[in-house]
Amino acid sequence: MYGSAMARGLLVTLKNLVRKPFTIQYPEQRLKQHPRFRGEEFVWYEERCTGCASCAKYCPLGIIKIVTSPSETAPKEGDKYLLEVFDIDLQRCMFCGLCVEACPYDALFMGSGFEEGQYSRENMVITIDQLRQSDKHPSTWYRPQLEAAGYMPNSGRPLGWREVGRESWRWHQGEKAGMRLAQAEGSSPVKDSEAGSLGSQPEPADRASADGRSEDPA
Amino acid sequence: MFTSHCGESILRENPLFRLIYDGASSFLPCWLSYLIAGMVIMLILVNAVLLGAAAISWMERRLLGRFHNRIGPNRWGPFGTLQPIADFIKLLTKEDLIPAGADRIAFTLVPIFMVLSVILMTAVIPFAKDTALADLNVGVLYFLAVSSLTAVALFMAGWSSDNRYALFGAARGVAVLISYEVPVVLSLLGVVMIAGSMSLGTIVQAQQVPFILVQPLAFFLFLAGMSAELNRTPFDVAEAESEIIAGYHTEYSGIKFALIQAAEFGGVLVVAALITTLFLGGWAGPFAEYLGWLWFLLKTILVVALFSWIRATYPRLRIDQIMGFCWKVMLPLSLINLAATTLEVFFLPDSGATTVEQWIMVGINLPLALVCVPLFGRLMREKARPGSSPAGARVVPGVPTIESS
Amino acid sequence: MLFQDIVQDVVFWVLSVAAIGAALGVVLVRDLFRAVLLLAGVFIAMAGFFVLLSAEFLAVVQVLIYVGAISILFIFAIMLTRNVRQGNLPNRLQIPAVLFSTLLLAALVVVATSTEWNLIPDGAKTGVDLVQTQSVNVLSPEALEVLERAGALSDEERLQAEKAGLADLLIGPFVLPFEAVSVLLLAALIGGLALARPPGRA
Repeated sequence: MYGSAMARGLLVTLKNLVRKPFTIQYPEQRLKQHPRFRGEEFVWYEERCTGCASCAKYCPLGIIKIVTSPSETAPKEGDKYLLEVFDIDLQRCMFCGLCVEACPYDALFMGSGFEEGQYSRENMVITIDQLRQSDKHPSTWYRPQLEAAGYMPNSGRPLGWREVGRESWRWHQGEKAGMRLAQAEGSSPVKDSEAGSLGSQPEPADRASADGRSEDPA
Repeated sequence: MFTSHCGESILRENPLFRLIYDGASSFLPCWLSYLIAGMVIMLILVNAVLLGAAAISWMERRLLGRFHNRIGPNRWGPFGTLQPIADFIKLLTKEDLIPAGADRIAFTLVPIFMVLSVILMTAVIPFAKDTALADLNVGVLYFLAVSSLTAVALFMAGWSSDNRYALFGAARGVAVLISYEVPVVLSLLGVVMIAGSMSLGTIVQAQQVPFILVQPLAFFLFLAGMSAELNRTPFDVAEAESEIIAGYHTEYSGIKFALIQAAEFGGVLVVAALITTLFLGGWAGPFAEYLGWLWFLLKTILVVALFSWIRATYPRLRIDQIMGFCWKVMLPLSLINLAATTLEVFFLPDSGATTVEQWIMVGINLPLALVCVPLFGRLMREKARPGSSPAGARVVPGVPTIESS
Repeated sequence: MLFQDIVQDVVFWVLSVAAIGAALGVVLVRDLFRAVLLLAGVFIAMAGFFVLLSAEFLAVVQVLIYVGAISILFIFAIMLTRNVRQGNLPNRLQIPAVLFSTLLLAALVVVATSTEWNLIPDGAKTGVDLVQTQSVNVLSPEALEVLERAGALSDEERLQAEKAGLADLLIGPFVLPFEAVSVLLLAALIGGLALARPPGRA
């Protein structure tokens, strides 16, 4: 180790001294994140959410708190619960994405931002108003429909609730995942022009294979 | 010393000392003006050490960054020059914790002792012609004596923290310190023999050829030895950041920690100044009478950069590797250096005082160093241990065996 | 000069109080760790005394050896000993120890006060303003001669005499103790190696 090896080590370091550094000057420059990046925020589509609290049940840390008010009519198939409290505690969240995996209605997505630091502990809990108002750039984590559509959370436009679900794969003919749409909203399934704005519509063969892929265990 | 005439000291030629002394002695008794003049220069030295420690911490972080293909701190001030101040302010505002079972007096005295030993070391270093606070006749020995105070301070830090990791770090640190004092002292003897005196001012003036060429082995040994004594990577087991939390300064926070860091970086600065004095010719250079301080400063910064370079290159050694390196490599090398230098000084007619003779010694010592260091490296290579299974064991196919290292 | 005398007296008394206080503390303090630190303090105070006596070389060597090596020895003994926090336990040898220490103290005081120290007479102080007592520098006959000439003795010459005295004596008349000490150190090294050897090796 001594002798010439010492000198060679010193020369290696010296060569690195004169090379250009790789540093990115955050916050003026930022690295581009992968579309599947699980950020520190959540994208929630209230229109799709039924209040089933599967996300709260799946969360390994138990940080999601969902309080629904009892429905005034007898619950019918397709009715939604009225959500009063939907809290996600960012202090404990490990951003594993299990809640996103759990949601049967594609209502909850991981966000793509990572600058959620706050100055007090109270601000570290995401409340339902924050979830409603946050800008909707969902990450494509566990949402192969977004990936197949080629959506880029960094550079794409905010997505509405009709565009982010799996209905474009036509699992259920004429029925959204768990949502009973009134006929007035439009009888055609979502594979119309709205979905096309996301990107190119996948071919039937791709859609079939996409179906097959989605049935794999996550 | 107190018994000397006032005004009589190595500083009498120094313009700043002269200025203050002459100005003050017109209306003050001479002892008071000597005191004031000495105090002013002492204050300048103390401030230089502490500010220099901050400046070196900045320089080291930027240099380490560039060695690692990244930029160092560049947010505070242009090129991050205010970063040490930001660090200091942050450390000042931290809570000053003393562990419940700690020895309060000893715990608090440790940072003071560490900074004390560093500041005491600067008293003998000649920064320019006729500019040393006290050019003792035993300057080299004084330096070694004060640097051995660090061992006691280290042990105090480890023991009074009431923390077994701190004690581990302190035990390792003290063992490394006292082990490395032996080859360091022996390697300095060669320099002292050629210069004929232990006074640092005389050593600077005796360097017709910089002693880094005349005593390359001594330079290498002193560099490695002082790296170990300062607990710098690759020898920093006492404060190994990834191993035993933080070693002897685990329990220190706030201003105490800031002082310990200042003592560490100040030690680097002072040892670099000493290396400049002993091996690189001190304040020598063109126009040395007026620009001596500039050459000294440049050479010291160069040596500090060398320390940073070494830190950026080598991984941390294990404690048994450190001890092996000291006793099996550095001690024999220092004895070889001592023997060679003794023979040269004995047989050369002028005992190495003239330029010609020093070049002759370069011719002998430099090839000797270039041969001995790789030779000892070869002897010290860790051999690969043959298979770890006991003798006679059969290797059953299909059963995983432990691979030999 | 008057100021220098006052300063010397003040420094002497401060150092004396510090040394004696630290020495008493070494014996009386309960905590062994603090006792070792106070012992290091005693050694540093002794180095201060050597500086007062104009023997800088001895002062520096005192710090280097006593504080830098012997204190570390004590420190290692503490670090490697278990149950060291209980401090000094009383034992049966206290009375004999007190008797013996008193006898030793009496002997030292009697010897110190009845020796003929070769002090420079007060009148000659203005001439020889560097050395106060000859008890440190009397080691070499040349130093004695130069001092008795009572000329102005420059620093380098004086240190030359002092150091040359020590070196000449070590290689000259006192070479046997010198070699004996080196053999003792070798024995200590070998003993340390034998003690530190892992068990089971031939």
